[in-house]
Amino acid sequence: MRPPRLGPRTKMSDTQTREIPGNEGHSVPRDPVVRRASGYAARMLGTGVVSLHTVDVGQSGTVSSRELWIGVHLAAVSQAALEQLATRAQRFTPRVSLVPPDGLLLEVKGSLHLFGGADAMVRALEVDHVHAGLQPQLALAPTSLAAIVAARHSGSFRVTDHAQLVGQLSPLPLGPLRWPQEVVDRLARMGVRTIGQALRLPRAGFARRFGSEQLGELDRLTGRSADLRQRFQPRERFRRRRELTCELESSESILRALGPVLAELGGFLQARQCGLMELECLLRHRHASPSSCVLRLSAPLADVTRLGELLGERLSALALPEPVRSFELSSGALILRALTSKGLWRPGEHGGSAGTEPTELVERLRSRFGPEAVYGLRVLAAHRPESAWRATEPAQVSSAARAPTPWPAFRRPLWLLSEPRRLREKDGLPQRGGSLRLTADAERIETGWWDGGAIARDYYVARDIHGVRLWVFRERSAPYRWFLHGVFG
Amino acid sequence: MPVTTGDLARLLEHPAIWRGSSVAQADTLPSGFEALNERLPGRGWPRSGLIEILVPRFGVGELTLLLPALTGLTARPAARWSVLVAPPLEPFAPALAAHGVVLERLLIVRVRPSGNSAGERRREVLWAFEQSLGSGASDLVMTWARSPRARDIRRLQLAGERGRALGVLFRPLRAARESSHAALRIAVEPIHRGMRATILKSRGGKRGAVDIACGASWI
Repeated sequence: MRPPRLGPRTKMSDTQTREIPGNEGHSVPRDPVVRRASGYAARMLGTGVVSLHTVDVGQSGTVSSRELWIGVHLAAVSQAALEQLATRAQRFTPRVSLVPPDGLLLEVKGSLHLFGGADAMVRALEVDHVHAGLQPQLALAPTSLAAIVAARHSGSFRVTDHAQLVGQLSPLPLGPLRWPQEVVDRLARMGVRTIGQALRLPRAGFARRFGSEQLGELDRLTGRSADLRQRFQPRERFRRRRELTCELESSESILRALGPVLAELGGFLQARQCGLMELECLLRHRHASPSSCVLRLSAPLADVTRLGELLGERLSALALPEPVRSFELSSGALILRALTSKGLWRPGEHGGSAGTEPTELVERLRSRFGPEAVYGLRVLAAHRPESAWRATEPAQVSSAARAPTPWPAFRRPLWLLSEPRRLREKDGLPQRGGSLRLTADAERIETGWWDGGAIARDYYVARDIHGVRLWVFRERSAPYRWFLHGVFG
Repeated sequence: MPVTTGDLARLLEHPAIWRGSSVAQADTLPSGFEALNERLPGRGWPRSGLIEILVPRFGVGELTLLLPALTGLTARPAARWSVLVAPPLEPFAPALAAHGVVLERLLIVRVRPSGNSAGERRREVLWAFEQSLGSGASDLVMTWARSPRARDIRRLQLAGERGRALGVLFRPLRAARESSHAALRIAVEPIHRGMRATILKSRGGKRGAVDIACGASWI
């Protein structure tokens, strides 16, 4: 019996289903349209396993005669330049992937007719790159891996028909596959120097000798299994600079001058359905170095009125060394906004759920007093009173109010001094205005000997002459000093 | 046609008719102390607006007086923030949790005045207080203010009504001589095993003193 071969033996039909890696083992129909629909159906049925996003990635990596990839190989190019080229290449197709460090992949089947066929498109791409001062090698193939591998080898590979792919790939050397040198050397010792020779090796033996990774690569090369490519998303930023007609000094007038630029930012964000979490306003002066005013938000925000308010708060707190001559507004990374519907009731009204107001309040207070000035509280399981609580980030709005943490109702004051305050002593009794009256038994807290923060104290509840109830303690060792640690309030 | 008392009562229930003591119909929040509830209009703290608690000094029991309200508000399913603006000391989380306060809904705000004059600090505290009250994001906002001006208090009262939040202003007892726009003014002083709350002003309610016993936990 002949052993199974590596190459595709039968051409797969369009209705066949296959496993898409990363899709939690759900087999989905191969046709993109059908697959998308099945993704919707799965969501509708509430299985929720096949997410639309995953399906979309799968679609861009599918192997089918309906796909056509252009591979672009560039000699020595920086990551930034590669991203720029990818952005430019997006005018041919939205499905552009980066192949770091020196390659690009474009799926062009859908847009071929717009550019006058495959050859015309390849020429247009070539011209684009030459204008950028680069010498690209381009290849055309029905699978993405074949396209980039062929492009690395030469700039003359043009295969549009899936049936011809294996035949055309066969004479290519193994080098462009970029396998580990050791694997290539071992194959060379076996007399295997071309892709075609590698494809003719028995599958089982190949997997045993070289591992399944290279076998998987060969499968993706020939279209036997799907090749997933992450779609390239250009990073966008908003950045505007304005020269002022006159020098401005007050924060109100600067904010007024910022108005039109902020409105522009609003349109920019709205068009992209994005919000931002960081906004920098750089104010330039005649002599002094520029003043910077950075706004950091806890949730993506697209409402420019609010951005303007927050920026105004920041600006009014800023001490400007000189009047402002020009300014520059630049955004941080754009973040896709989750759109929510507005409630019928205002928050607090008939138990209407809270909208964005809670985070807005925290942000407004923080923009004035600094991020560490606004906080929530958390209980920690510790016996030392000073380490039994901690300041935390204010709770998220959406988190439903949890049932109160069951916490033993020890005798604890509502207020704690951040540092115990030494009390004077007279006739063995602590003093505060006059003698304190101790009104209950002592509670001994002796703990922390294992981590160097050892305490040994006897806590008492005391009343001062004004009737204020205090939480005081006496040290359990010499010099037996008295301290005030809390107020019951 | 003779008008029966039933008709009259129904007529008086009309929302457009406002009577001196009918704040009772408005939303209130039980104070948690039965003796006090009986004296307050609507048997509880107002749900929005501004109240003043006057104390001879910090810590005589003013937070204990508001603790049941704080617990009740934070434990509601759709609770908003309960904000403590510039508290004089650190609120001690384990004690608050032991009294049933849901800490997730508690927000502490420390003000950072740009200058260091007392006036600057007061302005910042009142700004934070007003923002929290008027934002619609808070149920309860408390602050400790030495000497807000009458004009500020009027603004805070309006902010509380706008944001449907209850603002609590803790002030020194000597402020009792000044007039105030707050809907309710209560002086608190410590007595044996509890505190005495003297209602100085109550819109639509009665004045007078009430002794609040705080039980065995009050030592």
